[in-house]
Amino acid sequence: MPANLAWLDDPEVFRINQLPAHSDHYYYHDADEMATATSRYQYSLNGAWDGAQYRRPPYTIHDEITPGIFSDAPDNTVGSYVKKFTLPTSFDHQRVSIQFQGVQTAFYVWLNGHFIGYAEDSFTPSEFDLTDTLVAGENYLAVQVYRYSTAAYIEDQDMFRFSGIFRDVNLLAKPAIHIDDLDLKPTVNADLTTGELHVKTRLSGPDLSDGQLKLAVFDQAGTLITTQTQVTQRKMAFQPITVSQPTLWSPEQPNLYTVQLTVLNAAGETLEIVPYQFGFRRITITSDHVIEVNNQRLIINGVNRHEWNAHTGRVITTADMQADIATMQANHINADRTCHYPDQIPWYYLCDQAGIYLMAETNLESHGSWQIDAEQPTFNVPGDNPHWLAAVVDRARSNYQTFKNHASIIFWSLGNESYAGADIVAMQAYFKRHDALRLVHYEGVFHVPALKEKISDVESRMYEQPAAIEAYLKNDPPKPFLDCEYMHDMGNSLGGMAAYRDLIDRYPQYQGGFIWDFIDQALLINDPVTGQAMLRYGGDFDDRTTDYEFSGNGLLFADRTPKPALQEVNYYYGQSH
Amino acid sequence: MANLTKQRLHVVYGDSGLGLHGPDFDYLFSYVHGGPTALKAHGHEWLYRAPKPAFWRATTDNDRGSGFSTKAAMWLGADQFATCDHVAVSVDDHPFDAVPTAPRNDQFSNQESADTATVTYTYRTPTTPVATVDIQYTVAATGVITVGVHYQGQSGLPSLPALGLRFVMPTAATGFTYTGLAGETYPDRCAGAKPGTYAITGLPVTPYLVPQECGMHIQSQSVTVTRNTTLNPNQPQGTPFALKFDQVDQPFAFSCLPYTALELESATHQNELPPRHRTVLTIYGAVRGVGGIDSWGTDVDSNYHIDATGAIDFAFEICPL
Repeated sequence: MPANLAWLDDPEVFRINQLPAHSDHYYYHDADEMATATSRYQYSLNGAWDGAQYRRPPYTIHDEITPGIFSDAPDNTVGSYVKKFTLPTSFDHQRVSIQFQGVQTAFYVWLNGHFIGYAEDSFTPSEFDLTDTLVAGENYLAVQVYRYSTAAYIEDQDMFRFSGIFRDVNLLAKPAIHIDDLDLKPTVNADLTTGELHVKTRLSGPDLSDGQLKLAVFDQAGTLITTQTQVTQRKMAFQPITVSQPTLWSPEQPNLYTVQLTVLNAAGETLEIVPYQFGFRRITITSDHVIEVNNQRLIINGVNRHEWNAHTGRVITTADMQADIATMQANHINADRTCHYPDQIPWYYLCDQAGIYLMAETNLESHGSWQIDAEQPTFNVPGDNPHWLAAVVDRARSNYQTFKNHASIIFWSLGNESYAGADIVAMQAYFKRHDALRLVHYEGVFHVPALKEKISDVESRMYEQPAAIEAYLKNDPPKPFLDCEYMHDMGNSLGGMAAYRDLIDRYPQYQGGFIWDFIDQALLINDPVTGQAMLRYGGDFDDRTTDYEFSGNGLLFADRTPKPALQEVNYYYGQSH
Repeated sequence: MANLTKQRLHVVYGDSGLGLHGPDFDYLFSYVHGGPTALKAHGHEWLYRAPKPAFWRATTDNDRGSGFSTKAAMWLGADQFATCDHVAVSVDDHPFDAVPTAPRNDQFSNQESADTATVTYTYRTPTTPVATVDIQYTVAATGVITVGVHYQGQSGLPSLPALGLRFVMPTAATGFTYTGLAGETYPDRCAGAKPGTYAITGLPVTPYLVPQECGMHIQSQSVTVTRNTTLNPNQPQGTPFALKFDQVDQPFAFSCLPYTALELESATHQNELPPRHRTVLTIYGAVRGVGGIDSWGTDVDSNYHIDATGAIDFAFEICPL
């Protein structure tokens, strides 16, 4: 199949030749590799790539599919990337895929002159099989990244918008039998006395008939609890593993158990080992409409966190993530909404380990398609439009499938500020069908009360006045309440937090909220006038339209130093953690 | 002839101002500049210009979003252009009917003394309606100056962005030490601030993306500003010297910055702020909250507004160290 630029115009085309989304497990050839977290099966293509960009003039957004709207749009920037690589010997005779963990907004991949595939959804991994196209010696990888496609309608997040490859790119070798997907469902019974772990896997390989898959489960202290072994099959489910008196996962005690799956070939040789840490915790909504975790009322002392670095924009390092975790822990912040897209994979692992609750948000925002008249939008995508259904459900699927095993995630969030319609109902249904153990969150249904039965387990609002929240809570609230965004910490702000804190004491259905937001978005640029480094914000790059300094609402400045207001957060969140 | 002792103020009845002197201090209360123009302690000058009432704070993002600065815009003019239209002098509780300039001061020698002297400046704001502010400086023989500020509001005036007395010092301070609450605090954002004594190096401007009101310290008992430079070319430089501001009865709020509210107001980025020439110490009798519910319409909670229609009084002491 040749690459087709018209895919940029068609909301129904968003993945060509991509492998299905799967769990974010790491895999290793053997125990030594596992111990050092290095895998011969992974080869990074990070580093210098050859590239060029060019620009064309603006287009007009219409409310219906228009041929050429993006494919022939004069302002659709294209980044053309080339990377030459030679595979390491550890990849010999293996199936090989390439995984792009973040590319904004739509991209085409070629290898050695052959078209490989196409992907949208900037913030979830996109993976393609390269096995049949690789050559011995040097391979020539080409990627073209388009700034705009129909995905731009549903990636309308209110933030700095960039374009290009901005997260890791890895080549992945898959041994003869490989665990493509791992599905862990740890359940806890009502009185918290018994845990039960359900383990499913999906394997791939040319011949699965003679292999073995060994499952070992270790408790949080590293003590082996049990093992099971099965003959490999494409889809496998282990016998549920019962753990009596499980040590539960919580922000206070983020206890993690470990599963270890070992794939053996017919000769009994180890092909790969997959370790994965999981947690037992129980998330419920009581008959009084109170969310509980481990039978305790959930109090969200949360923040919204964009991925940000003042030097590199939305490209952040593990050190940045670790610093953010440390800041959260030092200030009693116990929850993060991954506004408004999935974060880099390591973030979820760090939150599991640190005990940070996650509201794992799907990469969806279509604010521009309805905000002109929120009462009755003239048009809205995805809305009820069947042409957008598959794309947004795919985004839900990618979010769920990639991150489903993380203990830290207690909410799936359908996206941000996208209004509500049948397509978002379908996203909710996807999560509900696959995950009975977590809750689903979506704020935008606030504008379409008729859909509240079908969308969101919580009443979520943003920047709601405390008095209005109280009015909801006083009036027999049908759902628990949370602020998905509150305390807009723009500039010198964060006054009056006591009014929200008081609600915690007075209304059990008030579950707290997520401060907007964690870190200012501004870029450190050398100012040619003064010779000084300066933080530039929205509009400082001749970018229009812009909301100027509205890019900076963080508890931290863009360079990760704390704003004075952080001590106030520390105080109030310290009252109720 | 008055008896000059250490316990008495040496009073100089000048043509354009009242000089008050002691062994370690020299003050000049101007009749033409709306306040003291010299506040010299141990030979170091502390005033670049006469202190003026402060009515404005650099617009915060929330102020801009809620339209507060537009509603309060009169106070921007008042901050810059309020004028002193009356000066009253009282020596040893003996008020002069009129300021003792020439020829009324011909009766005095250069050896006059007193136990205390008070100079009161009355400012009128270029607002509609007009508000007045009396700033009263009472100097004791020890050199301690008690400053009392009395704001007399008028109904019909919009809520105040700030109310204080602004001291602009000739050079940038090396730092300040205060007893009060940790960090930058406002009436609606101080619950997490621990009381204590805090030494601040330099004159930090909180680096909000857009320069704005910052550096407030509410509920302070004292602040001591330390400099080590003067503008006097004949004075040795580099040795620290300090001036202390103490509460009288009630704690005060202050900010100690290298910029005035208007300088902060005018910059769109931190590095557009001018070079740091001076120290701007503003002692506040009333501070508006910062708000935080949103930045596009919701005003600061009314409990944290400054009502401009009534009276506001505050006082503090200046102590030469």
